[in-house]
Amino acid sequence: MLATINPTIKAITVFITGVLLAFLYDPITPLIYLIFTILVTFLFGNISLKRWLMLFTPFVFLSIGFAWMTMLYSSSSYAGGEVVLSFWWFEITRETVMVAISLALRSLCFTALSFMFILTTDSTKFMLSLMQQLRLPPKLTFGILAGYRFLPTFKYELEILRKAHRIRGVTQSKGIKEKIMQVRRYLLPLLANAIRKAERVAVAMESKGFTGSRDRTHYHELRVTKRDWLFLAAFLLVFFGSVLITYQLGYLNIFGRKI
Amino acid sequence: MSILGVVFAVIYLLFYLFGQGLRNFLTPFGLGPFGYEFIYGIWFVVSVITAYIIRKPGAALISETIAGLVQVLIGSPAGPQLILSAFIQGLGAEAVFASTRYKNYRTRVLVLAGVSSAVFSFVWAWFVSGFSALSPILVTAMLIVRMISGALLAGLLGKWISDQLAKTGVLRGYALGKELLAQREQEAS
Repeated sequence: MLATINPTIKAITVFITGVLLAFLYDPITPLIYLIFTILVTFLFGNISLKRWLMLFTPFVFLSIGFAWMTMLYSSSSYAGGEVVLSFWWFEITRETVMVAISLALRSLCFTALSFMFILTTDSTKFMLSLMQQLRLPPKLTFGILAGYRFLPTFKYELEILRKAHRIRGVTQSKGIKEKIMQVRRYLLPLLANAIRKAERVAVAMESKGFTGSRDRTHYHELRVTKRDWLFLAAFLLVFFGSVLITYQLGYLNIFGRKI
Repeated sequence: MSILGVVFAVIYLLFYLFGQGLRNFLTPFGLGPFGYEFIYGIWFVVSVITAYIIRKPGAALISETIAGLVQVLIGSPAGPQLILSAFIQGLGAEAVFASTRYKNYRTRVLVLAGVSSAVFSFVWAWFVSGFSALSPILVTAMLIVRMISGALLAGLLGKWISDQLAKTGVLRGYALGKELLAQREQEAS
């Protein structure tokens, strides 16, 4: 179900909700939204729970790290309320804890939204949709798609380079200075080769009649249907709904201003 | 041009892993995200390199946006948001090149482009990650570290990589390669 939503609309949904979430500094809204996003991901996404958890867990730790930093070094305008915890020269107040939790949940929200997008979207379809719906120039789209296909070959080329070096007696490097030199030895030939390849592909594309004109037909036609707009509307609705709930509970905080 | 974007998307991903290692190391000190600032400049390197090599209006902006897009295609956990932040970083570098009317590509302009990207990206991060809740001293320190990182890792490293690439001869078709060729001919005559 999620996989058939138009990729451009899906990306726009993630964009807009991400920007909207950035205005809020209370813990309730991101929490509701996080739960909503995760629910949507599993109800309509057809994603295995194990895989999702494997990807998501590191970000939980990262956001805890960020929350910890926010608590220790928070701005004075957010540091109201009674002191909850104090040690060394740090004083953690109730308000800072709230803001820290809010920011951590916000970053988890971003991650959950991104996962909903990347785990259910086909890369090629996303590019084609950007070309057909957002009128991205075909020269760019097909260029990126052609380049994207080279990714696995970079790995293969790196392997060749390593073997070529070894056969000529270049041994494994030790120490930081040698490691940096090693990066140079690998990076430059890789880049040089990539540029040569890109030129060859460009020539091949043009010789086969690719003009890059926007006035062209598409084999895979992607359309925006009513369902796609419904998807976007649902996400916005839930966002404003959760803002309303937070307001009712008296926790709403927009950019540090309590409302 | 798109191939450069792809190449750098891969390099970005490598540095992303490197950055996470650094961040994990610094987290116990309550400075987790701070560790990331040290290597943040690497994200802008693609703008500097393509602008320096191609020397056309829009090169910095487009290449950075492509790098962001490709990272999304590969499946970076930052998701579609990344395209927007890449666009803003590219805008920072592009502004500097535009202010010289795309004529000056000396080292200090490249360094300035790296710093400008750092400032632009910082303003965006300030909004999205809620830096306004952090103490002003920490935020200032983060900005300064990011600017230095942009100057070194994007400006100087970008110039060095491009110059090394030009020496290999693959850039003969581009502005930088032509410049090098003209220089050599002058020296020979």
